[in-house]
Formats: sequence, C-alpha cells, structure tokens
Amino acid sequence: MTNVIASLDPRLTPEPPPAVTPVVSPVGDRWARRRRRIAVLLMIAYAVLMFVPFSWSVITSFKTLPDSVRMTFLPDPFTTAGWEYAFNTLDPSLPALFLNSAAIAAAVTVTNLVLGSLAGYAFARLRFPGREALFLIVLATLMIPDQLRLVPVYLMLNGAGLTRGFAQYIGVVTVLAISGTSIFFMRQYFLTIPKDLEEAARIDGAGFFTTFLRVMLPLAGPALATVAVLQFQGTWNGFFWPLIILQDRAHWTLPLALAGFRLAGGFTTNWPPQMATIVMATLPILVLYLFFQRYFVPSVAKTGMTG
Amino acid sequence: MGVIASARSGSPVMKRKGIAQGREAITGYLFILVPMLLFLVLNIGSIFYSLYISVWQWNIRSGPETFLGTKNYFKVLGDPIFQQAVTNTLYYTVVWVPLAMALGLFLAVLVNQKIRGQKFFRAAFYFPAIASSAAITVLWIFLLEPDGLFNAARAALGVNPIFAFLGYTDSQNWLGDSSTAMNSIIILNAWTTSGTFMLFYLASLQAISHELYEAAAIDGATAVQAFWRITFPLLKPAHYFVATVAVIGGLQLFDQAYLAGGVDGAPANSMMTMVLYLYFAAFKLFDFGYAAAVGIILFVLIFSATLLQRRLFGGTPSW
Repeated sequence: MTNVIASLDPRLTPEPPPAVTPVVSPVGDRWARRRRRIAVLLMIAYAVLMFVPFSWSVITSFKTLPDSVRMTFLPDPFTTAGWEYAFNTLDPSLPALFLNSAAIAAAVTVTNLVLGSLAGYAFARLRFPGREALFLIVLATLMIPDQLRLVPVYLMLNGAGLTRGFAQYIGVVTVLAISGTSIFFMRQYFLTIPKDLEEAARIDGAGFFTTFLRVMLPLAGPALATVAVLQFQGTWNGFFWPLIILQDRAHWTLPLALAGFRLAGGFTTNWPPQMATIVMATLPILVLYLFFQRYFVPSVAKTGMTG
Repeated sequence: MGVIASARSGSPVMKRKGIAQGREAITGYLFILVPMLLFLVLNIGSIFYSLYISVWQWNIRSGPETFLGTKNYFKVLGDPIFQQAVTNTLYYTVVWVPLAMALGLFLAVLVNQKIRGQKFFRAAFYFPAIASSAAITVLWIFLLEPDGLFNAARAALGVNPIFAFLGYTDSQNWLGDSSTAMNSIIILNAWTTSGTFMLFYLASLQAISHELYEAAAIDGATAVQAFWRITFPLLKPAHYFVATVAVIGGLQLFDQAYLAGGVDGAPANSMMTMVLYLYFAAFKLFDFGYAAAVGIILFVLIFSATLLQRRLFGGTPSW
C-alpha cells in the first residue's frame, strides 16, 4: 500500500533510469504516465470499496445489537457478546459449524486428490481399450448441470439412506467425491511429465502402482496443490448440494447456517453473531488465498473452461 | 485382448509383452474404477432416471404412483410462477452479463498498467470471487438494510437528492422491495464476479503487442481512441469466451436469490429464479415428478443457450 501511495506523489517517486526511456516513444510515455496516475487512483478507490464490506463485518461482530446499525467505525462499547452468542447460544454453535465445514471440505479434497490423480494418471499414461471413449465420458460429466441431477441424485441418496442422520455427511461427500475437473487437470499435468523417468522405474522392475506413487506423484506437486486448493475452496463455500443433502441442522456447514438462521429463525436481525459467522466463513479462504495465491489463479482458467 | 492375441503367437518374448499389456490394462481400469462408477450412477444414470421420474406422479417413499406422461411438463410451462422465474432469470442475465463483463474489462485494463502494487490490486479484486457466496450475500443484505451502512453512507455523502429524483426513499428497503430486489443482487454479483472476468480479460490483454499502441500514439491517437480502436476489437475472442461462461452462470442463479428471498423468492416472487423454482418444486411442494420435469426443462433451456452462443460466436473453448 505504501508503495502505491509513494508512486502517487511525484516527490517520493524516483526518476526512472534514463536507460529505459529511449525504448518508449515520448508521446506514448506522456500518455502512459497520466494514464497510470488515473489508474492508481481508481484502483485505490475500488480497493477501498472492496475492503469496506469485509472490514464492516469484522467491526460489527464486536458491536452490541443497538450499536450494530450505527455508522461508527469503532465498536462502542467494544463487546465480544456477539461471538459469545455464536459460540454458546447458536444451535449448532459456531465451532460445530466450523468443524462440519472443515471435515466435509477436507474429505472432499482428499477424495478428489486420490481418485483424481489415479484416474488422471491412467488416462494420461496407461494403455487400455476404450480409454478415449471413457475420457470423453469424464468430459461429458462437466456439461451436465447440477439442476438436472438434483431430483434423481436426491432420490438415489434417499433410497440408499444417505439423507438421514449422520449418513448425510457420507451422502454429500459421495456426490462431491470426484469432479471431472480434478481428473482432467491431473491428466493434463501428467501428460507434460517426460516419460523417461517412468520408463527407468519400469525397467528397474517397479509395478504400475509403485511407479505412480513413487515417481509420478512426487513430480505432480503443483497439479495436486491446484486440485486441493480448488476443491477445498469450492467445498468450503459449497451451497447447492449441502443445502439439499444436509437437512438436519446438526450437520449444517457455515454457509448453510447463514441461510438457515436467517430463513428459519435464529438471527434474522441479530447482526453481531451473524457477522461473526460471516467472518468464520470467510477467514479460512482468505488465509488459504494469502498463502497459496498462485494456485488460485490457474484454477480460474480451468473452471471457466469447463463451465 | 492383447493377452490372447500374443499368447497365440507363441514366442516367449511376445507372451511376456502380452501379459504386461494385460496387466497395464487391468491397472488402468482399476485406477479409474471408482470415479467411473460414480459418474455412471450420479451423472449418466441420473439423466435417464430423471426422464423416468418426470413422467410420474412420484411419491418420495414408494416411488411411481400415477403415470402422467407429458402432463408434468405442460404443468410446469403453464405455471405463472415458473414463467415469472424464467422472466426474472432472463432479466438478471441480460443486465448482469454486460455489467459484470464491463466491470471485469475495466479492472483488467486498470491492473494491466505497469505500476507498483499491481499484484496487490489483482489479488484484492479477485478475492470476492473466491469468498463464500453465502457470507457475501448475507453481508450484502446487512449493508442494504433500511438502516444499514449503504443508506447511512449516502445520507452522509449528501447524495440523497439524486436517489430521491430516481424515486428511492431515504430509508429504501432495497432487498425487501420487489422493484429493487433483483437489481440489488445484480450489483452484488457484478461486484463479486468482476474479479474472475478481470483475470480472463487480463490473460488476453497481455497478449496484445505493445507496438500497436506505440504506432497509434505516433499517429496522434488518444488513450480512449486506442482502447476502442485497438484493445476492444482485439479482445473479441475473450469477449465471446467470457460471455459464454457468464450466460451459463447467469441462467443458474440460485445461492443469492435463495439467501435473500428464501424458497419463495420473496418479495412477491421477484427473486424467483429458474433454479430456485426447481428447489421450490422439490423441497417445498415435495412433488418430485414435477421437479424432475423442471430440471429437464432447465437443462434444455441452458443447453440451447450454450449451443446458440457457440453458433453465434463460433470457436468453442478448447479443452
């Protein structure tokens, strides 16, 4: 942030080294400088606009209920009552909701990593009859929208007893266990790894599974990280399938609780605990984003392409 | 297959090779077994099951009750709430898609400038796109309350006369009023998705040669002219790609509508979308045969929209 502000103030900005300037034409340079200044101003404005709602949720979570609707930037009085309400009075409590979200997101991430890397490797490297046709089926699944699947999948899970009690967790993980995107992404990555290493391992007598586990998987780190980040984030934020399958409030995830408490009572206008829930739902993704930002960006292109 | 063929050929080398091939094939099938079974049941199977359910009066416990043929389909198409849902969804898509695209392109042009802090801005602008839709929507509901931050901020900024001129009161209930509810969601989603579209556009912007702008500058073109004459037309493939992705997403609006309006798309069905109607049919009416028909109609609508766009825009996104 300080860098940006510095570049706004001509006194703080060091003159560009003369070696660079001759490359750019003088006209283009004049343009570029003015344009850059306007761009910086607009970006700061937009970043502030982006920052306000999120910080507002944090601030409000520490306010009292009457204070929560006042436009003051400091809670007055500062209180943890909202958080205490979310921890003690909410049913299920905020920690329980957090655990539900984390457990489901972790389970779905693991299944996608295991099933996605195995299948991705098979589609990239192993030769078997019908491989191309089966891979087309994987791609076709990406074209089938969830709304077409809602009724039949719900009825199948219901018939299998996976929409009642604890089995709801199994139901939701089953539906999300493997995404065609994970297989597709792993396959594309395995295709870029040279075959030499694998062949050396095979000559040394390693079986297919050992070759996959010891040689290929350690080389697929970036692809695994991308699939993990994409699946964890997607499942953590997931709304549609959890809403349909996790109908017992004890099994709610954070997004479901935000909907459920609003629509079925709990905290319609009790804002501080609601804001605490929002903070809990947003924070893990923010942390993940800060640490693994580079794995978020390519996944965008992939999800976009696969609709 | 390979095993039998080479076993017949007799040579021990060939035989060993054949066994190895057989083992490779078996390993391949084992590696893809679980995902393929899940896809077969939950994806491919669900299409056929859906078609089957949709022609029945379906009981959640006992299954098919009365054969209805195409009656469910006609009932869906004739239902005024469904028609309302289609109208609302089309309105949302028609307004939201260009708005989010324009905002995404605008942000992409901004963060494409060579300035310090460029990475920070890119990261910040993308964040709403990856945060929980439920969290952001509830936050939005809070900000747009009659006594919320938005109304308070516009009063503090002294811009209320402009809003009054447009017909909005000082304590406008944005999401509680059927005339402003959907527009409020449009603005919310334009904000959250603009980051994603920014990244799509950015990739294409970076591919445009700098020399073109140099040449335009020498010819005396202004920055605005350069944008409309060079940048915008050269981004054509990106426009098509983003538009296709956006339209598919727009037609599937659900989370925000459900969070703000509940299962009925309140107020006054103004937030009822096509996918929300599907949820409404299944989990409020508990009429699964009817809901299955809704699902198939939605699939046909969305799929034809996709095909139409591919026909109009040509190139499909490469896998």
